Amino acid sequence: MAENSGSILVVGGGISGLTTALEAAEVGYEVFLVEKNPYLGGRVAQLNQYFPKLCPPSCGLEINFRRIKENPRLKVLTLAEVEEVHGKPGSYDVNVRLHPRYVNENCTCCGECETVCETEMSNEFNFGMNRIKGAHLPFEMAFPARYLLSPRIIGTEDAKRCKDVCKYDAIDLDMEAKTMNLKVGAIVWATGWEPYDASRIDNLGFGRYPNIITNMMMERLASPSGPTRGKILRPSDDKEPESIAFVQCAGSRDENHLPYCSYVCCMASLKQATYIREQHPNAKVHIFYIDVRAPGQRYEKFYKTIKADENVVLIKGKVAEVQDAGNGDVTVVAENAVTGEKISQTVQMAVLATGMQPTAAARKLPAGELRYNADGFVINDFKKGGMFAAGCANKPADVVSSNQNATGMALKAIQTLKG
Amino acid sequence: MADKYLLEPDVEFINQIQGLGGDTLKKCFQCATCSVACPISPETKPFPRKEMIAASWGLKDRLVGNADIWLCHNCGDCTALCPRGAKPGDVLGAVRSYAIEEYATPQWLAKMVNDPKMLPVLFLIPVAIFLVLGLFLKAVGVNWLNFSPVGEEIVHSKFFHTWLVDLIFVPTSIWVVAIFALGLQRFMKDIHENALLEGKTDKETIEGLGFLAALGRVIPTILKHKKFSECGENEARATSHMMVFYSFLGLFIVTNCFFFSLYVLQAHGPYPQMCAVKWLANVSGIALVIGSCLMIKDRLSKTDEVSTYKDWYLLFIVLGVGLTGMLTEMTRLGELAGLSYFIYFVHLVFVFNLFVFLPFSKLAHLVYRTVAMTYVEYAGRK
Repeated sequence: MAENSGSILVVGGGISGLTTALEAAEVGYEVFLVEKNPYLGGRVAQLNQYFPKLCPPSCGLEINFRRIKENPRLKVLTLAEVEEVHGKPGSYDVNVRLHPRYVNENCTCCGECETVCETEMSNEFNFGMNRIKGAHLPFEMAFPARYLLSPRIIGTEDAKRCKDVCKYDAIDLDMEAKTMNLKVGAIVWATGWEPYDASRIDNLGFGRYPNIITNMMMERLASPSGPTRGKILRPSDDKEPESIAFVQCAGSRDENHLPYCSYVCCMASLKQATYIREQHPNAKVHIFYIDVRAPGQRYEKFYKTIKADENVVLIKGKVAEVQDAGNGDVTVVAENAVTGEKISQTVQMAVLATGMQPTAAARKLPAGELRYNADGFVINDFKKGGMFAAGCANKPADVVSSNQNATGMALKAIQTLKG
Repeated sequence: MADKYLLEPDVEFINQIQGLGGDTLKKCFQCATCSVACPISPETKPFPRKEMIAASWGLKDRLVGNADIWLCHNCGDCTALCPRGAKPGDVLGAVRSYAIEEYATPQWLAKMVNDPKMLPVLFLIPVAIFLVLGLFLKAVGVNWLNFSPVGEEIVHSKFFHTWLVDLIFVPTSIWVVAIFALGLQRFMKDIHENALLEGKTDKETIEGLGFLAALGRVIPTILKHKKFSECGENEARATSHMMVFYSFLGLFIVTNCFFFSLYVLQAHGPYPQMCAVKWLANVSGIALVIGSCLMIKDRLSKTDEVSTYKDWYLLFIVLGVGLTGMLTEMTRLGELAGLSYFIYFVHLVFVFNLFVFLPFSKLAHLVYRTVAMTYVEYAGRK
């Protein structure tokens, strides 16, 4: 191995960031992986299964976490946010803000603090579908496997109770936020995406009807670590839905919302149809689409398999209206563009296939030299080098493409260091 | 899909629709949001998604003779929700203006009415007719166009005799009716064939009595602007349209009353201000001016919807008729004789434009939309 001419900073610990960081570290470079959440895995950690193989992401993530543990050159910083970046390709000066976790490495995840903690709050990991304690583990498979205390209970009796009950002296209420300075030669932004805010799509009723949920909420409902322990139950009355509608392109390919295709939502809905069909064998699934985008041979095959299921009905026509059908049911209205008839389909639950919006769409990344397209995706400037966006910070992509892209960006970062 | 069709796209038709305000039509990707967004679209074979693909493919026959394009009141709900900015509302508006031209005879006059370059000609035509006819009659000893009217009181008929007015407008009303009759003959046949083809009716033929009964059921809907006010985006438009609609209705009644009083009761205008008919005339005139001003304001402030020449021409004429009408009366009461006679002449030019070019201008929707709505009612469309 040639002598390293610098270190690499990877911003974002989702599947893309993990891949870039590990690929670079495993060929001998010093890598800092900065993640704003208290855990790694990002959006993938919230998924129930990957498409098209239908295996749980926890499996793939576990392998990556093991690679991290075995690699001394990779330093992971969670609850950390990049504040400022100065410098040029080859030498960047980065300030990173580290937020206090209030729990140190002594934690064994015994859960005593969670038991005694009385404060409850909405669980954003599950999109608010259940509540968590002020002292909690982000989710069962979280890495680092360590509890944290919400800043909301700091200074309260609750925090004291947690500290008193901990047998391992793992709770440190005096932890404070601090700033850390890093000198790196290249930066890879793997800042990922946010689900598009479904409540902004007025005509699709999200937020007005409890049984209209988003595709990411469906992942959490189906996930064994989710709010219902993996049972797909509709939010209003915990009933097993016998009929479900999927509303494709909810706020996607739409000039009024996200003008682009998010690439994954068609496959995600087809995949989620299998969740429902498996749990509720008699359930009817109605998928309303503009056109089904299942790119490539493997996805096409998956689509054909789902299409062959007689309980899954695919209707060409975008849902443009939803109505209350009583008892928590909703009626979705579309025109079947093949038959030219208007359809009002009453279902017990509806899933909006919302798209992905790059994190940078809401707030620009703290690096002046980055360029973005109109939708907030970073445009990579390979000629200039130094900084690159990987995965969904660069374009909407599935896990496979994100990983391929992230591996490529690891190489781009290395090339910058090599000058 | 076992059925095979041979599509024969009419590229010229596509170009023309794009030119008439439907320039966005190719953006449509057939998601069908519009058909659901439309508050007045029927449950079976809803519009305008199918019209959008027909326009995109240049299927003229599926559009021009399609009653559905007239069911649309261009409220813009579809355009607001359209994810592609394809503006189905404007595309249907463009198709309607194409259809008006298509069913009008003679075609050259229809083209002229919708050509901005020909606007001066449209105004010169009535001026020429008035002067030529007036001077000709004068030459043969009939003094119906008198450039130096005498008397204390301003009486417009002393300048432009009511008989001259009627000599021009009575035959032209017959011509308007005749042109519509010709157009409607083809129009009714086409919309019925289209309905049979697209499975929008279970009626084999159009039967006269049943059709009239349907008209009876549709008229209250039109009077109440019921369809219009179902629209979400452009609620305000229903109000201004209603003002203009009712002022025309009022003025139509007024004209008939005065026609009756002139020829049957032999009572000559100007009529006293306290007369009930005069009241109706004044209220209608004011409503016409305000309504058309509101419409113009609405169009100017709506940047997401296309306004084309045909829209502006009609609004200009309507406002012109209202303004010159009111000014004629005001200058008469203000005893400004010369000005009043002049404005009256201009008023007659505007009225000529409104009336004689009715089968060719956007105002023809009055007839086509009424007939299409009646047909749909008759056909039992749900």
